Amino acid sequence: MTVLRAIDARVIVSLVVVLAASGARAQSVAFKHQATVYRDAKDGKLSAPEGVACNDAGLLVIADTGNARLLTYFVKEGAVTPAAEVKVPQLKHPVRLQLDSKGNMLVLDRKLRKIARLDAKGAFQGYVDLKPAGVTEVVPTSFKVDRGDNLYVLDTAAAKVFVADSSGAVTATLPLPADAGAFMDVAVDAGGIVYVLDAVRATVWSAAKGATAFSPLGKSFKDYASFPTYLTANNRGVLLAVDQNGAGLVLLGQDGSYLGRQLSLGWTDGLLYYPSQICLDAQGDAFVADRSNNRVQMFTSIAQ
Amino acid sequence: MSARPFILVLAVAALAGPAAAAPPAPKFKLKPGAAGQVCLECHPDFADRLKKPFVHTPVRSKDCVGCHNPHASDHGKLLAADANAICATCHKDVVAKNAKSTHPPATQQKCGECHDPHASNAKANLVKAGPDLCATCHKTLVDGAKASKFKHRAVENGCGSCHEAHASATGLKLLKADVPQLCLGCHKVDGPILMKKHMNYPVAKARCTSCHDPHGSNVRGMLYNTVHAPVAKGMCGQCHEAPGSPRGFEPKQAGLALCRGCHVQNINKMMDKNRLHRPVTEGAACLSCHGPHASKEKGLLKADMRTVCGSCHADTIKRGDMSVTKHEPIKNSECTSCHDPHGSDAALMLVKAESPELCGKCHDWQKHSSHPVGAKYVDPRNKNLTLQCLSCHRAHGTEFKSMMPYATVPETCTKCHEKFTR
Repeated sequence: MTVLRAIDARVIVSLVVVLAASGARAQSVAFKHQATVYRDAKDGKLSAPEGVACNDAGLLVIADTGNARLLTYFVKEGAVTPAAEVKVPQLKHPVRLQLDSKGNMLVLDRKLRKIARLDAKGAFQGYVDLKPAGVTEVVPTSFKVDRGDNLYVLDTAAAKVFVADSSGAVTATLPLPADAGAFMDVAVDAGGIVYVLDAVRATVWSAAKGATAFSPLGKSFKDYASFPTYLTANNRGVLLAVDQNGAGLVLLGQDGSYLGRQLSLGWTDGLLYYPSQICLDAQGDAFVADRSNNRVQMFTSIAQ
Repeated sequence: MSARPFILVLAVAALAGPAAAAPPAPKFKLKPGAAGQVCLECHPDFADRLKKPFVHTPVRSKDCVGCHNPHASDHGKLLAADANAICATCHKDVVAKNAKSTHPPATQQKCGECHDPHASNAKANLVKAGPDLCATCHKTLVDGAKASKFKHRAVENGCGSCHEAHASATGLKLLKADVPQLCLGCHKVDGPILMKKHMNYPVAKARCTSCHDPHGSNVRGMLYNTVHAPVAKGMCGQCHEAPGSPRGFEPKQAGLALCRGCHVQNINKMMDKNRLHRPVTEGAACLSCHGPHASKEKGLLKADMRTVCGSCHADTIKRGDMSVTKHEPIKNSECTSCHDPHGSDAALMLVKAESPELCGKCHDWQKHSSHPVGAKYVDPRNKNLTLQCLSCHRAHGTEFKSMMPYATVPETCTKCHEKFTR
């Protein structure tokens, strides 16, 4: 199986993939290893980091899951500099991270099954408490924040995606498709299209802005992914799925078509071992929480 | 009018008839019996076969050329067509197009796996009679049925009591009808004895095989060998509404809440883990993996672990199947040897976070007589990792020997020991 084959990181890391996203002119993107974050400001080791968030101001936040903390870094000209540690008792097992437009941190705690909200300095502000009609309790599996600070919460126990505005008021509820495997993530692109990712069947479903139901987006990409668990969209609308068990990234067009696969299994810089989350900034840099390698890696994605 | 001329005409016609229908003279001046009788001159063993109680029609009528070409053939045994296809020239539509379930030998036209094309002591020219034939492939099932303490009479009468041989139009697993209709053909569940056995619950609409092993069991009532305690004690009301209630057979509560009533300690323990296996709280919750009544499997699992776990983790199962070296727990479908299916503090739901400890459960000697592993040894490839078993092996295997991620041992070793790279 090709995903099992590791390639040497000293060679340029990844494949060059032709991105021909739905009718747009063909573009190429290469992912190249830029830097690796192994330590905090006090030279403490990262442990099984599962979350990573970044913004255009050069802020990088890591959910250092194994150490039950968040770490902040500054990114400038390809260099990543440690900043601060955020360790609050309200976070037991931080996993997925998002930043809102003000630099506030939203983090999913898998143990507590809650989304915590921290301000830009790391002070705990409370847990997100959505109150959709007819639902006793929202139990988040995953979530995303869009540019307007709207929150998209995937609740697989309720089999729904709840959309809430920045005040926490639920503005829409989307039922998850019934005929599916296991939904692992929700994503939203710049145009407001909401996506959900089924890891078991390796399929993406989408709902256009204002739609009341999801419909399948293209075919299953099971031939190209083992167990995709995280989904995000870049600023061109290309979808990137993190293939946790296959140690790589799968790129999909806006119509769900398979565009290519990047990165592969390994332990040296540039390779992945059970990756869990990816964050893309406006410069096209990508940060990958490389969980079982106990590190976060930075890649430059070069449009060609 | 006299009838004599009319009778005469009939008589002439009767005489002329056979002459008109007589076959033309043999084209190749064939000897009498050339279609089969002649064959016996060189194949005398067929004389014994012809004495068997069940003889294939072309053989009995000594029409060997019905299946064989006497001169030459592109197929083995001088068959006139491919061995997998020749039976279908006469036995068409053995497998109906819209069958609900089919038997692979029938769909693959491997008729010879069950039938003798010439003669047999068993009905339908079967190569063996009764369950012995089915045991050729379904040995575990047939042996289990024979050894069971409480036997199902239908099984003793032969697999064909409940199963079709080629295909079933109405039932899964080749059953002649779906459960419970099939069972109700013999078992009158509305009679006083079975009503009492079922605590007066209206089981006529229930799936009998969710509790009973139709092939026999060592548990009274032919329940599967692993029985949920309330079922064994006849305390159905612990989970179900009372019989005759408007909600019928409905459970008293949904999902985890119902199971928590008895399994509170286990559930609290799993809920306290950093990682909770998602099926525990989602969908059918506990019933995603466990049966509520009885099961063949330990822990009331719905099926063997490979099947249950593989229903979501097919990629992992596939990786194990493709592996050159087979890891014993994977080969034996023992996922829980390494993973906790409910919850864990470790990644990948492992029962122990550190692989030397985990792997050492079986590979104890390698904890102290192998390549240095453990917290003291930093992985040269990654300063945040220490050397573990999984530094060089993948537990579910790879396409390379010894479950290594690289094709050769030197290739694996030189990832760290770079100075030895050639």
